[in-house]
Amino acid sequence: MRKVNHILLSALLLTLSCDPEPVLLKHSEIVADGDHTGIFVLSEGLFNRNNSTLAWIDFETGAVDSWKSPTGTSYDCFEKVNGRRLGDTANDMILYGSHLYIVVSESSTIDILDATTLKSVKQIPMSRDGRPSEPRRITASGDYVYVCSFDGTVTRIDTLLLTADRTINVGRNPDGICVANGKLYVSNSGGLDFNNPDCTVSVIDLNSFTETKRIEVRQNPGSIYSDGKNVFVVSRGIYDYGKNDYDTRLHKIDAENDVVTETFNIPILTMDAHDGIAWFYGYGPGGTIQMLDLERGEIINSDFITDGTRIQCPYGIRVEPRSGKVYVCDAADYVTPGSLFCFSPEGRLLYKVTNIGINPNTITFCDNKVTLRRYAGKPEPKGHVDRVFEYMPAPGQFVNLMPQYEEGDDAQTMAQKCLEAFQSGEMITLGAFGGYVTVGLRSTIHNLEGKDFRIDGNAFNGSSEPGVVWVSSDENHNGLPDDKWYEIEGSEQKAGRSVADYTISYTRPAHEDDHTPWTGSDGRSGSVLHNKSHSQYYYPLWYESDAVEFTGTLLPDNITQENDIWIMKSFEYGYVDNLTNNTENALFDIEWAVNPDGTPANLESIDFIRIQNGVIGCNERTGELSTEVSTIYNLNPKSE
Amino acid sequence: MAFDVKTITCLTVICTLCFRLEAQGQILSDGTPSKDLQEVTVTSDRTTNPHSVSVSKKADAALLRATSTLQVSDVLKYMSGATVKDYGGIGGLKTVSVRGLGAQHTAVAYDGIIITDNQTGQIDLGKFSGSQAQSVSMTSGPDNDMLQPAALAAQAAVISVSSKRPEIGESKARSKGELKYGSFRTVSALAESDFKAGRLGTATVQGEWLDTRGDYPYTQENSASSRQMRRTNSDVSRLRVEGALFSSIGENSSLTTRIYWFQSAQGLPANILYNENAARERLWNSNGFMQSTLTTAFTDRLTMRLSAKYGTTYTRYLDPKVNSSTGKTDNRYTEREGYLSGVALYRLADRLTASAGIDTRLSALDGNGADQAHPTRLTLNSTAAIKYASDRIIITGRLNHVFTKEKTRLRQAAESYNHLSPTAGLNWLVWPKAGLHLRASVSNTLRLPTFNDLYFEQIGRRDLRPERATVTSAGIVLENESRGWFWSFYADAYNSNVKDRIMAVPGKNTALWMMKNIGSVITHGLETGLETGYTLGPVHPHLMLSYTYQRSMDKSDSGSSTWNHQLPYTPRHSASAVAWAENSIVNAGINLLYSGEYFCNGYNGPEYYMPSYYEIGCSLWRDFNINGSTVTLKAECINLTDKRYELVRNYPMPGRQLRLTATVEL
Repeated sequence: MRKVNHILLSALLLTLSCDPEPVLLKHSEIVADGDHTGIFVLSEGLFNRNNSTLAWIDFETGAVDSWKSPTGTSYDCFEKVNGRRLGDTANDMILYGSHLYIVVSESSTIDILDATTLKSVKQIPMSRDGRPSEPRRITASGDYVYVCSFDGTVTRIDTLLLTADRTINVGRNPDGICVANGKLYVSNSGGLDFNNPDCTVSVIDLNSFTETKRIEVRQNPGSIYSDGKNVFVVSRGIYDYGKNDYDTRLHKIDAENDVVTETFNIPILTMDAHDGIAWFYGYGPGGTIQMLDLERGEIINSDFITDGTRIQCPYGIRVEPRSGKVYVCDAADYVTPGSLFCFSPEGRLLYKVTNIGINPNTITFCDNKVTLRRYAGKPEPKGHVDRVFEYMPAPGQFVNLMPQYEEGDDAQTMAQKCLEAFQSGEMITLGAFGGYVTVGLRSTIHNLEGKDFRIDGNAFNGSSEPGVVWVSSDENHNGLPDDKWYEIEGSEQKAGRSVADYTISYTRPAHEDDHTPWTGSDGRSGSVLHNKSHSQYYYPLWYESDAVEFTGTLLPDNITQENDIWIMKSFEYGYVDNLTNNTENALFDIEWAVNPDGTPANLESIDFIRIQNGVIGCNERTGELSTEVSTIYNLNPKSE
Repeated sequence: MAFDVKTITCLTVICTLCFRLEAQGQILSDGTPSKDLQEVTVTSDRTTNPHSVSVSKKADAALLRATSTLQVSDVLKYMSGATVKDYGGIGGLKTVSVRGLGAQHTAVAYDGIIITDNQTGQIDLGKFSGSQAQSVSMTSGPDNDMLQPAALAAQAAVISVSSKRPEIGESKARSKGELKYGSFRTVSALAESDFKAGRLGTATVQGEWLDTRGDYPYTQENSASSRQMRRTNSDVSRLRVEGALFSSIGENSSLTTRIYWFQSAQGLPANILYNENAARERLWNSNGFMQSTLTTAFTDRLTMRLSAKYGTTYTRYLDPKVNSSTGKTDNRYTEREGYLSGVALYRLADRLTASAGIDTRLSALDGNGADQAHPTRLTLNSTAAIKYASDRIIITGRLNHVFTKEKTRLRQAAESYNHLSPTAGLNWLVWPKAGLHLRASVSNTLRLPTFNDLYFEQIGRRDLRPERATVTSAGIVLENESRGWFWSFYADAYNSNVKDRIMAVPGKNTALWMMKNIGSVITHGLETGLETGYTLGPVHPHLMLSYTYQRSMDKSDSGSSTWNHQLPYTPRHSASAVAWAENSIVNAGINLLYSGEYFCNGYNGPEYYMPSYYEIGCSLWRDFNINGSTVTLKAECINLTDKRYELVRNYPMPGRQLRLTATVEL
């Protein structure tokens, strides 16, 4: 009976493997694996065909997402959600924090997706002087993910800001990266010089993000893996075309002293390990999965698969450390869609997903819930801002990052980036006291009963970086904010605790890492302190002048320290980035607009808004207080 | 993951090599003494030659004009049986294959003498200007011509470009000037002069310059986020100068001597990858040669043709931004070639002719890389043929032999090749009154490994065998003419079988490629065409239709995923139509191309599907006589409907283009 079942199953497998749709074929009832909600499988596609894809296998439903693209050519979760394709040769990915980072090598980009929706939140182009960097592999540690690229660099990406904040040089054509003992290890393959490959592993100190050492290894190092204490690197040597094979070695590097302690003669290309045992395969089709004792360097099992399942061409491997299940990607013959195999720790096939993508190469476990929604066209611009006239931040820790300054940007392009942020719901920073932004509204907001508009920030009660609001009506109907401005009188102006027309001037520091000094119109002086978390220039890089002056309403100091905790007290009402968004006291009423003498302006409507940071404050832990601004909403549907 | 570091270099180089082509030409006198004419060819102004034993089509000046041929590859797209692979734009590589045999089985001849590229084996037909061709013909299978040089006779298919010949009758000289201006800033200028060179004979010189920015718009399809973009780095600049002298020596001999120079500098169109659009590769070519052909009829029975040629081709490929330690790829190659050919034809009896010929070619390739093999190849092609020709029956039989001897400075040279390959053909006028011919041919031909196949860096393998192709073909031709109407029809079915295909296949990994003799392809196909026209009356309408069916099956490995799949870039159905009418007011032409769906990979999966497409073009032209000179004005619209499509995946084709031409002839 069992045999018959087997035959039936094989017959089923045969028929189904011709179907281009991804299918999960169960050999056991259990698809789930521990706490994981599912796995992502990345397929690089065929070189220069723009056909990298991402597959999602949901452990809860025990099914693979099989949305079919409108052109009927692919099954790709990324395209399903984002309405575009990943690009060419997606080579690696990592799920870190709340994001999934995908390294697309030939398209030379890092695509950052929200891990729960798979929506792309950012695409980082990777190139230098018009030369594509060809990012290859990725790893993560602390607040950063690290990408090594074929142009001989490692780039650090800030996981909070999702920006590439620094790039350093390593050896030639790095092709592997891992973290051990507070250091990054990068295998410099030099593989683009076929007869003269590199033969080093770069060691990078994570704190200073500088290369501290290059460890000599055998030629053409590739895959690199760390168990925390040791680093294992595969060195491929030079391909022997006569034998049609590599003669590979596995080096063991002691991550304490950064020296090669042992070299094993093992036919290995890629491995994954846990608990001192590595599951690996060698080059090429017909490669078996073998097991290696990493301590002794001995192959303890030359064929892990015990039930006769054949893998045509292993192309990626992951071991789930708790369950001991082994996941293997099969690239088949490189042109047909490949498969994913899941084996029990004993090497029995549990299930197989056919047609998962062309050349599947990376498997990532996911622990968060994933809900995939079909792309429904470009999102409507959020909120009520449709022009940004002026973006004039004061120096600050997020300046040049939010929005990102890129070489060649000027006031106009930075304003355009702010508009994109307003319309997509991202934050912009105003920097320290005085920094401001002036925006135009999509349509006039009328002064009706109740609150009229809402400006979002990132505050909550006790974490306030209040910005003062000014409004203006387009009295001369020229569409420009050259009319009279009125201040929105918040709780502090009303109580007489603010200083009007306070002038502050900032000077560009000599070095990137220096503090930015300021002097106030009342003789006070100080600095915007440079902190370790944000290493970029704090002075706006597109400002031509070396000094900049701002005049605005100065609100009372709101920072206090209680039991070692810094509290940034929220004011009662009337400020941006002061209270949790969309709570009653965070909203604004045009009624509050006043003339310079404090009398009500009795405005009927407004067309322009200016937001200006109203506090000078700095604490050692979180740096200077800088108002962050996001989308502005019209609360009066009638006035639309 | 297992995507090795070597991949990019290797693949880039492979792609690049596709572009490393030459555009060299040779000429041959067609000064075959008249005594022999009836034997040799039966010429026809029509597209189809009804007396040919194989499918043979010819595009004359009228068809070249009606198909808006700027590059010779343009007109070939309208010929049934020709599968043109086109990377788009003027600078994009254009190669032609027939009957599922692969482009390297198609020889290209300029004036009847083979053009070789020993490095890649592919000739870029885009490098031949429509202005240098008097006519372009394509023969798939054995040729009727008994004076065909041995190297050409051994080919499965021959595309022959015939150069312009002096057109002077009574007058002493004739001069022509032409200016073209087209979309995407395409300019070209041509000057031509035919004159009498005293006792030496008649001479012709021609110079042509072409320059284009070629930055045509295209649509980058990307799911719901498709974008309108423009081609970059697609500029081309070309110069061609050639001169020929046609002399008669005594009564029975003619001598033609030609000097040719071609030079080009261009950007290479890039694969349109998402997010990354840094096309930056450059290509420079120069090609010069000199050659002579002497044809002598010794007696009524014996005719000989001797040719000699010396030529060089220089190619430089540059990718200025590569992530290797040199930071760039800068390959320079020089290929030099000496060639001697002799054919003798002897009439054994009234209807029986025999011929024998031998071609000797010495080719050497030098490159700048430290890894270059610097190969030199001596090729000896010999051929012996016999032909029976009566009023109604033509039978040909031919035996070809090829021998090579190879030498390299670095690495071991390939063994000598030593192969025999026969061909045979029949054309039988079954029903003279109706003009009905039956024809059949069988040919066995070879495609030798190229220098790249054998020696290219790591991927070349010196132990490759030649590809062997066997084609059997049978068909009918009908030709008739009455009261000013003429019409012709042909339909030929064939079966081809390629064995030991030479292909780059991944070794142990997609990164590690290697040349191999792998697999075979069987093709069943049908080539058919209809042509009709009316020559009386004020309007001369002309219509040409063609249809091709090709089923090319991968028969390499019954266990592989590509078993029985259609060859890549080979549509099962393709068709074309060209119509034009000449009249006294304005001449007008319209052309239509259709290609059925196909796949861009040997595995016919949905990922590699290429949809069907069509392209329509039209042209208007008129001659004016001003003081004895002729002025011609022509306006053409190519891709009238602005159809956006790709012929090669990720290499978009241009959309709508306009072109204006003004010609003055004195």
